[in-house]
Amino acid sequence: MSDLQLTVEDLYVRFPTSRGTVEAVNGVTFTLEKGQMLGIVGESGSGKSVTAKTLMNLLPRTAEVDGNITFEGEDVRAVAKERRKHFWGVKMTMVFQDPMTSLNPVKRCGEQITETLRYHLGDTNATAKNKAVDLLEQVGVPEPSKRVDQYPHELSGGLRQRVVIAMALACEPSLLIADEPTTAVDVTVQKRLLDLLDGLRRDRGMSMILITHDLGVARGRCDDVAVMYGGRLVERAPTETLFADSRHPYTEALLRTIPRIDQPIHTRLEPIAGRPPELIDPAEECAFALRCRYAQPDCLEAIPPVGGVKGQHEFACFHPANTARGRQALDANLAAGQTVTGLQIQAAAGMN
Amino acid sequence: MAGTGHAPLRDDHNVLLTVRDLEVEFPVGRNEVVHAVSGISFDVAEGETLGIVGESGCGKSTVAKSIVRLNDIKSGSIDYQGNDLAQMGGETLRQIRPDVQMIFQDPISSLNPRRKIRDVISEGIAVWGNTKGSWSQERIEELMVAVGIDPKFGERRPHQFSGGQCQRIGIARALALDPKVLICDEPVSALDVSVQAQVLNILEDMKARYGLTLLFISHDLSVVKNVSDRIIVMYLGKFCEIGNADELYERPRHPYTRALLASIPEPAPTVDVSEGDIEGELPSPIHPPVGCRFNTRCQHATDICFTEEPVMQQVGDRDHYLACHHPVEVSVG
Repeated sequence: MSDLQLTVEDLYVRFPTSRGTVEAVNGVTFTLEKGQMLGIVGESGSGKSVTAKTLMNLLPRTAEVDGNITFEGEDVRAVAKERRKHFWGVKMTMVFQDPMTSLNPVKRCGEQITETLRYHLGDTNATAKNKAVDLLEQVGVPEPSKRVDQYPHELSGGLRQRVVIAMALACEPSLLIADEPTTAVDVTVQKRLLDLLDGLRRDRGMSMILITHDLGVARGRCDDVAVMYGGRLVERAPTETLFADSRHPYTEALLRTIPRIDQPIHTRLEPIAGRPPELIDPAEECAFALRCRYAQPDCLEAIPPVGGVKGQHEFACFHPANTARGRQALDANLAAGQTVTGLQIQAAAGMN
Repeated sequence: MAGTGHAPLRDDHNVLLTVRDLEVEFPVGRNEVVHAVSGISFDVAEGETLGIVGESGCGKSTVAKSIVRLNDIKSGSIDYQGNDLAQMGGETLRQIRPDVQMIFQDPISSLNPRRKIRDVISEGIAVWGNTKGSWSQERIEELMVAVGIDPKFGERRPHQFSGGQCQRIGIARALALDPKVLICDEPVSALDVSVQAQVLNILEDMKARYGLTLLFISHDLSVVKNVSDRIIVMYLGKFCEIGNADELYERPRHPYTRALLASIPEPAPTVDVSEGDIEGELPSPIHPPVGCRFNTRCQHATDICFTEEPVMQQVGDRDHYLACHHPVEVSVG
């Protein structure tokens, strides 16, 4: 096994609100090796962005964080005060979903990149500007020496996102966190941006965390994929294993619910019944139990711990799909026509 | 990338809606115009689902809005059961509006936050009285049940529902007046994948139950393929290719259609991934390229593409039309 770059252990993030405490992240544990590309997949409210923001120390002050985060041997949550301003944004950087909101509309693109260089590395204006032109060229911005003097509104969405990526790369980070970097752009632009990120990662030996709601994006680009649901990491495996042999019923349901281009037209989709879990005062049960075709009485008695093979294929489920135990649970539910939570189920085409 | 020409129009008694040479322009700045939609023609047969795909700025939403007359039309006709919607105004247009309803992308902002959802759904019926459908509580409840919203929640307001539920309420509202045509403008783009399937299934169910004809607009190629019988690919205000959904995805001929199919994260097997590498940026719709509008980014472009605009032509004898001087050869299987 190669070097561990990032270790997240038992991460909890809570936000006190007037309606109660939102339990956004609940005991997330994962590791990232040097040079690896990890995909974190989940729907809105699954806790994927909060996890990323915790790593980047970007949470609002009201957030209550607990757990250990180690990045290149250093405890991220205990960085000495005087080193803090040069810790984030240098070795660990982040790219956000909407490039227009991560760029300052009244500053030229070049200035936004040179600002980082001057602040963190103490570069002079001239060196920084030369580096900015270089960086823009590396991220595939045409006519970089002209673009440095342009304002964000003069660029297309795809080019803006390239400028943001250039900013993130300025201090040569070893870990880049990309939070839905292509959600706001069209498919042809998405392909070019993902090709770019993939290439940069290989050239620079960078590690990357790619946060996305799009399973297809994760499948095409990541070494490992982690699936989040209700603030928990419910499954993690090497990409092909996850897609071919998923264990968590939520992963399986997600894969079945998406229309696929290779299906015939008017293929009946299999929706996931119910709605996403409540994050305020969640019950002490599997968060997916109410929507799960496999649910059994024990799913309502405790939160399933993360099991499986550590570092290989981890999942948090008492009755995992594609196993004898899971099949038994599903068969029993199918025979009864409903699960223990009262969810009506029937055998669907292609289900086994 | 022309889309001019009437080749795709069918001479069939089943055709419900025919759009001819539709042109829409929006004024910008000093005496300049955005050429949003530039002379497109298509038709929709009764009971059919017609999908329109394309990237942002290609004019797909403008086409939808033009049909319900939410924006001004520069020229062209929209024939609906012998009436030209493009020429209508005032009371005659109002009389026809119940027949053509629309649902929108953002489910939450398309519902009035201050009204109970029962009132949101019933407003159309309240306006039309008993001339269309029967105005009764049962009708509202039937619609709510049909889209999977428990009628006991009728007194709630939109913020008490999730995005997927709001979209279903939007569908119920659109169906209240027994429309013939339902125009869906990116109806699932703002939804999470787990609720996207619920909404798509409900659209299919409603189509079967109420005999609807659907115009379905989306940027998501997989979603469009799932719901559509025929699909139009648009680029910069023009049509590239129109065809039967299976045919179009199995034998795409236009370089832009192929680029789209190669760009999606899990590319279609019929195209090579490298075909997705289209260079450059979308040209300005204020000064669109002369000739084929895709010429600035097309790997196959030659001189003729910069001077002459390709016209829609039928491919063989299939339900497949394209506008390209150099269509990609595909094996006919």
